[in-house]
Amino acid sequence: MTFASILEWLIKGFVWVMILLGGFAYLTYYERRALARIQVRIGPNRAGPLGLLQPIADAIKLIFKEELMPARADKLLFFLAPIITLTPALVITAVVPFGPEGLNFPLFGRVITWQIADINVGILYIMSIASIAVYGIVLAGWSSNNKYAMLGGLRSTAQMISYELALGLSFVSVIVLADSTRMIDIVEAQKSMWFMVLQPVGMVIFLIATLAEVNRSPFDMPEAEQELAAGYHSEYGGMKFALLFMAEYDKMIAICIIAATIFFGGYREFWFLQNTWFSVDQTPILGPVYVFIKVFILLFGMIWVRATLPRIRYDRLMAFGWKILLPLSLALVFLTATGILLAQEVNPLFMWGIPVVSLAAGFIAILGMYQTLRRKEHARA
Amino acid sequence: MLLEYAAIAAFIFVTILVGFIAIILGMLFGPKKSTDVKAMPYESGMNPIGPGTRRMPVRFYLIAVLFILFDIETVFLLPWAIVFRKLGVFGLVEMAVFIAILLVGYIYAWKKGALEWD
Amino acid sequence: MATPAPVAALNLSARFPGSVTADARPGYSGWIVEKGKLLEVTQALRDEFGCDYLSSVTGVDYLPEGKMEVVYQVYKTTGGPGLLVKVQVPRADPVEVPSVVSIYPGAELQEREIWDLFGIQFSGHPDLRRILMWEGFAGHPMRKDWKEAYYEEDGKPFKTRWPEGKHALAESKNPFGDNISYPAGFDPEKWIPEDAEKALYGALARYEVRDEAGLGTDHVIVNMGPQHPSTHGVFRIAVMLDGETVVSLKPVMGYLHRNHEKIGERNTFLMNMPYTDRLDYLSSMSNNFGYALAVEKLMNVRPPERAEYLRVMMAEMTRISNHLMAIGALTNDLGAYFTPMLYALEERELILDIFEAVSGARMMCNYFRFGGVARDLPEGTLQKIKDLFFERLPRRIDEIDRFLTENEIIRARGIGQGVLTAEDAIKYSAAGPLLRASGIPYDVRRAEPYSIYDRFDFEVCVRQNGDIYDRLMIRFDEIRQSLRIIQQAVKQLPEGPVAAVKPAYQVRVPAGEAYGRVEGPKGELGFYVISNGKPSPWRYHVRAPSFINLTAFGPMCTGQKIADVVAVLGSIDIVLGEVDR
Repeated sequence: MTFASILEWLIKGFVWVMILLGGFAYLTYYERRALARIQVRIGPNRAGPLGLLQPIADAIKLIFKEELMPARADKLLFFLAPIITLTPALVITAVVPFGPEGLNFPLFGRVITWQIADINVGILYIMSIASIAVYGIVLAGWSSNNKYAMLGGLRSTAQMISYELALGLSFVSVIVLADSTRMIDIVEAQKSMWFMVLQPVGMVIFLIATLAEVNRSPFDMPEAEQELAAGYHSEYGGMKFALLFMAEYDKMIAICIIAATIFFGGYREFWFLQNTWFSVDQTPILGPVYVFIKVFILLFGMIWVRATLPRIRYDRLMAFGWKILLPLSLALVFLTATGILLAQEVNPLFMWGIPVVSLAAGFIAILGMYQTLRRKEHARA
Repeated sequence: MLLEYAAIAAFIFVTILVGFIAIILGMLFGPKKSTDVKAMPYESGMNPIGPGTRRMPVRFYLIAVLFILFDIETVFLLPWAIVFRKLGVFGLVEMAVFIAILLVGYIYAWKKGALEWD
Repeated sequence: MATPAPVAALNLSARFPGSVTADARPGYSGWIVEKGKLLEVTQALRDEFGCDYLSSVTGVDYLPEGKMEVVYQVYKTTGGPGLLVKVQVPRADPVEVPSVVSIYPGAELQEREIWDLFGIQFSGHPDLRRILMWEGFAGHPMRKDWKEAYYEEDGKPFKTRWPEGKHALAESKNPFGDNISYPAGFDPEKWIPEDAEKALYGALARYEVRDEAGLGTDHVIVNMGPQHPSTHGVFRIAVMLDGETVVSLKPVMGYLHRNHEKIGERNTFLMNMPYTDRLDYLSSMSNNFGYALAVEKLMNVRPPERAEYLRVMMAEMTRISNHLMAIGALTNDLGAYFTPMLYALEERELILDIFEAVSGARMMCNYFRFGGVARDLPEGTLQKIKDLFFERLPRRIDEIDRFLTENEIIRARGIGQGVLTAEDAIKYSAAGPLLRASGIPYDVRRAEPYSIYDRFDFEVCVRQNGDIYDRLMIRFDEIRQSLRIIQQAVKQLPEGPVAAVKPAYQVRVPAGEAYGRVEGPKGELGFYVISNGKPSPWRYHVRAPSFINLTAFGPMCTGQKIADVVAVLGSIDIVLGEVDR
């Protein structure tokens, strides 16, 4: 550990934080434009060409806003909560690789990798940071001395920990498929087939659970505008609010990067482009481009969901997490493991049993949900 | 490999720094004219009655306890997931037994209504 | 339509000899009941005569006669004309009348309003607090001897503001001068208002049920509103919560109160016409309709055929535009982020285009006149109406319907939530879609046809379950029926004049009382107008459906989750301009 390496880490970290912050700013713009298009509107188009300067205008406005401290709030925690929320949202992406090893380049005699840190328990790191993210929100809610904020913070906690189980279990099925917890290994394991194809239900569970983790519609319970005004950040204004907001959007970006990495082949090309010029083995610089495209599409999915679906009620949300997602994702882990063992011991074709059987399990779960709903409908008549 | 964790530590340091800088920017440029009314906790414009933080329904704690149970289950699954190819069928069966025992608890909790929010 | 329907079939004076007499004043109808017998008579009305629906309760201050009167409008939910029951009490404080809440719970908010505005005490009322004015307000503003701070003069068309061309505002002369009178012994400087909050929270706690066996958790009183994003305006809901479950709930209103009725009694009859637009500002055309009906009853005029058709067309268009808004707002309350709302608003704008073409205004239409409408359809408007209501809207309504009603989340959040049973709906005097979604096929257009509704072929929409989902669906049903009516009206639209009388600033309205009610988009909208032959009405009362529908709000929400409160409120579909008046 030399001074040079410390400097490298700091600079790399700083650059990546800046990219994420810029990503946050333009994600808000992207979301507003995409939502507007879906809703037969135009969206922000005044500040700069096509409204492209809107995020900057927003940021400047927020800097000049007055910040208030509610009476009898816990001053220290109230101050720290936005930072505690922001930090995990940013650092969760530290282990994600953005380019193949072929893209690493030498600079001042050091090899610069396209990753903040290449640790061998990458997925465990992501799981643990994801769990920490809840602290900031519950502390923000608790320290505000406000009923809406308190209830919002509590709801958020309960919701996040409930969906964390499903999230963790879908990580387990990825580990089972990739036979490693190192992120680069997971990406390389998807060289010939994305895990999205092998474990489609796992992917869906992952995406649903992450929607709940980042409090996005239709699981935007903690900040349910119609009920709790603004939930845990009711009392925040100015830059503190901006940090909470930033954390939320950066979480979206991070979650999409992670989803792209573990289910959609990360920086790898589409599997059918293998051994062509488009492969990252031949053109390594396409790696980050692929990540960007995948994240862009996944983010659009999140925005689309927001524009389309109403909010699930809180008790339904908890029931869905505990009664459907948890057993289903547990079953998927076993299906995946059994399929791999069979493929290993008996016949490689059993690999294809995994998606088939898990789709069947998914259908059974949906059928179960459908039946309960229908039973309720019949009961009312 | 341990050095990579130092890289993460450096990254965390940078993010915390950015957070502080942002808040300090806001403190520097924002006006500061707090009044009693402004400092009142927001409750749709009414004077809030009672404190904002108070005893909350026991349901939230129940969820927390259940979470710990099942999260530990996930934690036990992780090492198995890494080495199950070597353990083979024996590992799978053993894990199935472990999960089955937990499932009994899960079903018990479900039947007891611990998963109902009403 | 000219004379109130006879109520001979229900001969109350024969049933209660001595204590009930027919109202014999010229131009009046109904029965005058002795104060002491009121509960007995209303009980008999409900149980023996089958008048189970208390539509409206209002007070009248007969200052010259030294009397106060409370007027009850009761109807049968099976249809037919209603019955006017009146109680007269001497005008000496305290004015006291027994409360009928025990028999008709729907009177709860209305009696509170009468207490607030007229100072008539209702003995036996469970929660008699002020409702539109704030607790501690001095005086009762609807009394005839109560003068507003900026009071100028009765029927003031063109007199005070510009006397001889000189500009002198009455406001600048005083707020606290000769123009305002305080009750004896009242000193505004020393006055400390009562704590309204304490009374409200006390009323909430009365319904509190504690589970002694379970673990005690704190019940939290949470205010939603007035400054809250989901209350459709400045409306406040005080909720007592056990965790997320609603233990009890009280609506608090009056933030938009401008005493519509008092101003209406100062205006001339015609001046009130644009003023009714501001009640339910989303459906000004049907507000005009109700008021025009009431005054036309007094004046005994009938609009010409073409005007009748135009009126019906406009009223039904209003219903469609209002329901589109209601559907959009309800889905918004369910957490759909504005998309259905904006899809619905796109269609609504096209209807407002037609309003703009016929009346010159998109929302505050002011289109109706006594004995007709303000002007005929401009060139080309009929073609526009045909294009919209025969081609585009039926298609788009089906599309929105398909998008929303098949959605599992909407079904899950709507079905079985916020249920109002048929009995409760009648009990709480719910009206309009709220009543019909609970399985009561009661529609004023069919129950007591006004204008020319008896000529059209349409169905009274009804849904059986009374939950949020049914209240969403019934609005789609009603839009479809309204489309049918408009299509028939366009086909039958005759040529001819659009006004029976020459337009005049001042109309002569003979003395008497009249109650004009229409099926507004939000429910039964009634105007109770009393004329004493002067240029302005002696009494001008609005039976506001949004306001009375809120009576059922508390009972519907008890035991629900806090998230459902918002959805239930959205499914009632209130407009604060009408609630607060």
